[in-house]
Amino acid sequence: MKQRPMRLCEETRRFATDSQKGIYGRQTKETPFVVMDDVPGFAKMSPLAKHDAMIEKIVREAPIRICENEKISGSASLGAAISHIIPAMFDGKKVFDSISHLTIGYEDILHHGIEGLRKKAESSLAMQTEERKIHFVKSCIHAIDCFSLWHARYVKALENDPRYADNYRNLNWVPEKPARSFYEAVQSLWFTFAFTRLCGNWPGIGRIDILLGDYLKKDLAQGVLTINEAREILAHFFIKGCEWITGESCGNGDAQHYQNIVLSGIDENGEDVTNEVTYLVLDIIEELAISDFPITVRLNKNSDEKLVRRVAEVMCCGGGILAVYNEDLIIASLTEYGYDEKEARCFANDGCWEVQVPGKTHFGYYPFDALAVLQHHTLKGYTDVSFDSFEALYKKYTEDLDRQVQAVADFLPGWLHNDDPCTIVSLFVDDCIVTGKSYLEGGAVYDVLSPHIGGIVDTANSLYAMKKLVFDDKIVSFAELMQILKNNWEGQDALRLRAKNKYVYFGNDNDEADEMVSRVASDFADACGKYDTHEKIKFPPGISTFGRQVEWAPHRYATACGNRAGDVLSGNISPAPGTSMQGATAMIKSYCKVDLKQHRNGAALDVALMPDHVKGEEGVNAVMALLRGFVLLGGFFMQPDVVNAEILKEAQKNPESYTNLSVRVSGWSARFVTLNREWQDMVIAKNESGEL
Amino acid sequence: MQIPVSQIQRFCMHDGPGIRTVVFFKGCPLSCRWCHNPETQSFENQIMFDAEKCIGCGSCDACPHGAQTDRKNCIGCGACTALCPTGARENTLSMMPMQQVLEIVLRDRAFYGASGGITLSGGEPMAHPMEAIALLKRAKEEGITTAMETCGFFSEEYLPELKKYCDVFLWDIKDLNDVRHKENTGVSNQIILKNLKQLDCLGAKIILRCIMLRGINMKEDHLRGLRQLLEELSPQTKIELLPYHCMFEKKVSGLGMSDAFNHERYIPTAEDMEQARQMIGI
Repeated sequence: MKQRPMRLCEETRRFATDSQKGIYGRQTKETPFVVMDDVPGFAKMSPLAKHDAMIEKIVREAPIRICENEKISGSASLGAAISHIIPAMFDGKKVFDSISHLTIGYEDILHHGIEGLRKKAESSLAMQTEERKIHFVKSCIHAIDCFSLWHARYVKALENDPRYADNYRNLNWVPEKPARSFYEAVQSLWFTFAFTRLCGNWPGIGRIDILLGDYLKKDLAQGVLTINEAREILAHFFIKGCEWITGESCGNGDAQHYQNIVLSGIDENGEDVTNEVTYLVLDIIEELAISDFPITVRLNKNSDEKLVRRVAEVMCCGGGILAVYNEDLIIASLTEYGYDEKEARCFANDGCWEVQVPGKTHFGYYPFDALAVLQHHTLKGYTDVSFDSFEALYKKYTEDLDRQVQAVADFLPGWLHNDDPCTIVSLFVDDCIVTGKSYLEGGAVYDVLSPHIGGIVDTANSLYAMKKLVFDDKIVSFAELMQILKNNWEGQDALRLRAKNKYVYFGNDNDEADEMVSRVASDFADACGKYDTHEKIKFPPGISTFGRQVEWAPHRYATACGNRAGDVLSGNISPAPGTSMQGATAMIKSYCKVDLKQHRNGAALDVALMPDHVKGEEGVNAVMALLRGFVLLGGFFMQPDVVNAEILKEAQKNPESYTNLSVRVSGWSARFVTLNREWQDMVIAKNESGEL
Repeated sequence: MQIPVSQIQRFCMHDGPGIRTVVFFKGCPLSCRWCHNPETQSFENQIMFDAEKCIGCGSCDACPHGAQTDRKNCIGCGACTALCPTGARENTLSMMPMQQVLEIVLRDRAFYGASGGITLSGGEPMAHPMEAIALLKRAKEEGITTAMETCGFFSEEYLPELKKYCDVFLWDIKDLNDVRHKENTGVSNQIILKNLKQLDCLGAKIILRCIMLRGINMKEDHLRGLRQLLEELSPQTKIELLPYHCMFEKKVSGLGMSDAFNHERYIPTAEDMEQARQMIGI
């Protein structure tokens, strides 16, 4: 695998190592929350008053943390925030959950400071007549005061410490006032982000190169900052962003708090935004392998060669830190859906990849498993069910799918009737302050509730196998197949393996197999369209599993495509494990045959690459070709990852799930599972030492 | 026109520039003892058997030629591969219409960009010269780049046309000692070298690919000979050394062939490789 370059100074690298080891995250856990029990009358307060009291206590009491050598300051130092709650407890219990799945707007703070935000809130208060709205805007003003209060504590803590003279100088100005330089802008951005996290929320960052690019350009032009100095400063933003890493294992990892970053792409006027900040971010994550900020690069047909090459180079270092959007398709999709084109061009995401207009969107999604719909509803657990034709079966399935979507749509009328206090994020989402309505009750410009279909590939593969086995090739009757599946393929190994091996499934660029996924996807999108009638809330479809397939698998029966009950399921809209035989290009082609434009919230493809695929100049070129092809063919979101030796070991144990792994042997490629044991071991050893 | 295909592999990166689709032709005039693709040596269909995939269901007992009891009876009719549910038995030859081969190759057009394209390999593509040249020509017409991995053993009359339709040659040089060459590959290297030089004169882009087998061809005469050969060829000629491996073991047993050659002792060490590079002067 590609060696990571070293550009940052030793102190910065050490700070990164400490932070990534979880030193600061574990400190955070030692001070989990503030206690509200000593606040007089707390139990009897209104929810909003409780919330305000909690925020005030948090900003007054949260430990000030200044890490050795840090270049920017401010710390979300209460550990309960890592559990997605407002870190203030009463009677030993949490009081309110916090907010995530949104990217807040930072432009106001950067350009107008807290003072600008305060003015905006005060003028809104003067306009409000409804009591409810007055209360909300007062809560906003209180939150802004709390922000200033917390800020003042840091300024005081840094004063008179010569080690942090820069930090003091910057914080003595921002975020209270507008940023004037790149360094101030980075500090202002971080402090605002840290404040919302201090109060328990998990916001994204969004388009950092737009937010910071002009500041850097000006500083470089005036010669007050070098590009290397800028890289060091920005690196501290990323390292500070690891302060919630605790190193403790928990199901889906400890480094995922939806703190997304989106790079490159066009701005609202259609101009390419790629700038020095774009490249600095790529430099930093390439060097430090920080995966805490899920980073997605917006590519289009005209993306600069230099950018695509840098993206490919960072991908070749492994770790799956970078993903890509095809913004051509996404902007067209959002515009077609009714967004103003200028707004559509601004898209970022909620923290993973679900697209939204940052700083203006209240977002939620509702996931369900399409395979459960098929097995439990349409096929009634394989009991007392019969269909004369495939089309009859499929028709019943779309009816069940429609019912599932309707069940999600049933949430729409009540979704904005939400009293939960959420003032902190409301400060940074248009137009909550102006309209006097909170983020959760419709104050945002856009409200989006997205139904997400999961298990779509397993579903389509199952349908496809039933069509082939029963209706096309007539190998078994429908009744026999139901009995066989009910018995979990017991005593039917030859038939099971026939189903598994003799048919080609989604992900191999086989039109017939791919068509089934496209068909289910389109019917799902149509169902969503049918219920997309709410006056305020948008109801765009998305395709995802986000790892939920691991939880779903134990509850699923055998499938007609040869899986036994409980077998590993497919992720997102990626080929099912063990079914991809033609490599990454075929995978991308199958994926792009789906009408992805309909899935306006997003549809993710995971592509695993072997370290030998990404080795050297050939590897970089290959990844670039994959990225270009992905855009050309009309993909939505793709996350390539380089497979490590651990995966290879797993492939040795379960070769049938890894049929597609190929390795470079000596000037050519061989499929890993076709090698004999000793050679597999050697390839693994070579991969472990990174010298293949 | 039908192309005798052993396999078509997409998303290849080490068989010419960019992302490539490799079409493996079936059949080769050489019989290198170390052949990495033994299933492509014979011009006839052979059944590749993967014991690990076999579940012993007995479907293949239906063999009309009695090959189940004695593999010598197998005529490669493929009846068993059609019946086998697990893919443990597979054909190694399928005659594919050229249009179908081309269609598969063009499926990855979006990924080829300016550099990627088709690579003919094998087997020996030039063992089927009309088919190979026609396929290259069609690929060029489609605007993708073309490459060929060849042992160089074919009639010189095809060289001018081949040069016209093939952008890059990956040209195998097994051994410059002709006695050993005959002994280990079954043919003389004279035609191969003559073709190489003639093709070079025509201005073709050539990458020499040299398998390195310890104790077999990693000898002074071959290595110094390579140095001299490089000096004789045009300066744009590149050379790649490929250390021998025995990863094809499974294929050999899968074809029911005897395992006469396969020995780890022929694998060169890193030191051997370094020494070879020095002798060749690269």
